[in-house]
Amino acid sequence: MSESDMAIIKPEMMKSYIWLETSDGSIQQVEQEVAMFCPLICHQALQKGGGSSKNNAISLPQKVNPAMLSLIFDYCRFHQLPGRSNKERKVYDEKFMRMDTKRLCELTSAADSLQLKPLVDLTSRALARIIEGKTPEEIREIFHLPDDLTEEEKLEPLKNTMDDPRIRLLNRLYAKKRKELKERAKLKSIEVEERVDERSVDDLLSFINGRDHKVVNTSKSKKKNKKRKEHKNGTCKVSNKDSHNLHSKQRSVDETSSSLGGVSNLHNIEDDIFSKKAEFEDGYIDDEIDPALKEMLDREVEDFARRLNSSWVLSVGQERQPVHFSINGNGDTRRLTGPAARHK
Amino acid sequence: MKTRIDDQSKPQTMIQEKYTKRYQNLKVAEALSNNHLYPFACNELSSIIDLGYSQLPKDLKAFIFRDCLSAFRLLPDMNTSAAVSAANLLVKSVESAFPKQKKNLAIVEFKQAKVALKRRTKSHDEHIDLPSLPQDILVHIFSFLDVYSLLSSSQVSRSWNQATSEGSLWRSLFDLHFSHKVSIHIHPGFDWREAFKNEYILYKSSKMLRSGRGYCSYCDSVVWHDNLRCPKKQCRLKSGKKPLDLMLTHQVVNYLLGTTSSSDESDSEDEAVRGLWAYPTLQ
Repeated sequence: MSESDMAIIKPEMMKSYIWLETSDGSIQQVEQEVAMFCPLICHQALQKGGGSSKNNAISLPQKVNPAMLSLIFDYCRFHQLPGRSNKERKVYDEKFMRMDTKRLCELTSAADSLQLKPLVDLTSRALARIIEGKTPEEIREIFHLPDDLTEEEKLEPLKNTMDDPRIRLLNRLYAKKRKELKERAKLKSIEVEERVDERSVDDLLSFINGRDHKVVNTSKSKKKNKKRKEHKNGTCKVSNKDSHNLHSKQRSVDETSSSLGGVSNLHNIEDDIFSKKAEFEDGYIDDEIDPALKEMLDREVEDFARRLNSSWVLSVGQERQPVHFSINGNGDTRRLTGPAARHK
Repeated sequence: MKTRIDDQSKPQTMIQEKYTKRYQNLKVAEALSNNHLYPFACNELSSIIDLGYSQLPKDLKAFIFRDCLSAFRLLPDMNTSAAVSAANLLVKSVESAFPKQKKNLAIVEFKQAKVALKRRTKSHDEHIDLPSLPQDILVHIFSFLDVYSLLSSSQVSRSWNQATSEGSLWRSLFDLHFSHKVSIHIHPGFDWREAFKNEYILYKSSKMLRSGRGYCSYCDSVVWHDNLRCPKKQCRLKSGKKPLDLMLTHQVVNYLLGTTSSSDESDSEDEAVRGLWAYPTLQ
């Protein structure tokens, strides 16, 4: 039977129905003109003669579950009637779109698999309106999406993030920068003490600075190159021993020059540095930096990422020797002797 | 007898009405109920209050007060961090400029809103599994987004990130923002997103887009632009591909008050521009 025949016969006969089977196996029948609104069903019915009987039901794509199907058919039933005005349709559409995000997503998938473009457009616009003006975290919450991008990927959206040597470098430098800023903060407080107690604790200070210098270098070289791990581990052990000596020395100095308030501060700072060293020996730093520092670090990394993007001169070979940041403050100048110094 | 007509003979009320009419045409109140425009509208209210509350005619002051109250009342519905920051900014402006009684009323409203916000339980810890949308649908959805939202979306998850790298999205954004200013040479493998980013930084678009406002020459009015277009359909049809002239917030305030103050935004442009590509925000 051609379509025109069906059109003629319809008013006289009962409404004809089309049989449809959803993904869960249930079979139902729907008024023909409603179902035919969906291009997929239309195509199946006309070209392959499906849906004419219960046994010959058109099987619908997997994404179309019964709930969604009834929604879609509500939509179709309303819109397939030619007599509706544009305004009526618009009002209906707006009302129709009021549902929670989950159903909206399901509906979009279902409509797409049935190739019902007007409904796909409608739902897509509705979803876009939900996404508009929200932060990534908020979007993730609404759509229950996993946070599976690394920090670096978020920083500069790139396609092949895995293979990009620049990204690997950025990873490395991000961690290094965090560490450096941490140290800078600590060294700064040492600096302050230095100026105050300069004359009286000169000897002690230069010794500590020499200490510092070694400690920092050790951690730095560890970051730099995995090959040097053994060497570095050796130095770590050595420095541990030294540190003990220093500790006892310092204590004696403490007792003798207790009038100088600054020294006890230095003592504490040393403790920090040693405990931090212990951290490094265990592996890479964990993320327990306080939020204010983290923000500053993030901004620094952002800055770096921008510089990295704008002046792309690092080749793969240079990865082994990362650029030294020019950090203002005496801490830096003291550090850059020995193998660590490349650019100064 | 000839009567000379000069401004001074105009009754005071007519001048007041002029400002009130302008304010109503700005449609700030309507924008407050729009999820996307709420932060823009709050920022504009803040600016108006900061730049000239005391000079406003009495009627206009009443309107501003009313809109501030409704801004706070609507805050719990908005429930985005951008909305909260905008409301905080607004309450600061209110605190410094409003007379005592109005100030107290507004602050009470604000505090109630904050409480209501807290009460709204966030994600209900149901391990709902939303059906994952196929890539081509994601791209279709993203095609309706403005540049900020698109960048936000790119940081949501891996699949969304992939969808946002689709060249056609950035091509249409490029056309929208820059086609009337820039002509480019396309070649195979042309990266539209890079091109967009370069022009964006060059033209300091971040600054211009911060207000949400544009001037439409077809309807001769200051409007909340819909992705750089006039929200009125007739204007869109007439203007074709050409985007609106974007306006800064202080320009909008100048228009309202009939003044010519200059902007004293002290934020560093570089940081703002850079910030977009790392962590997009509306501020």
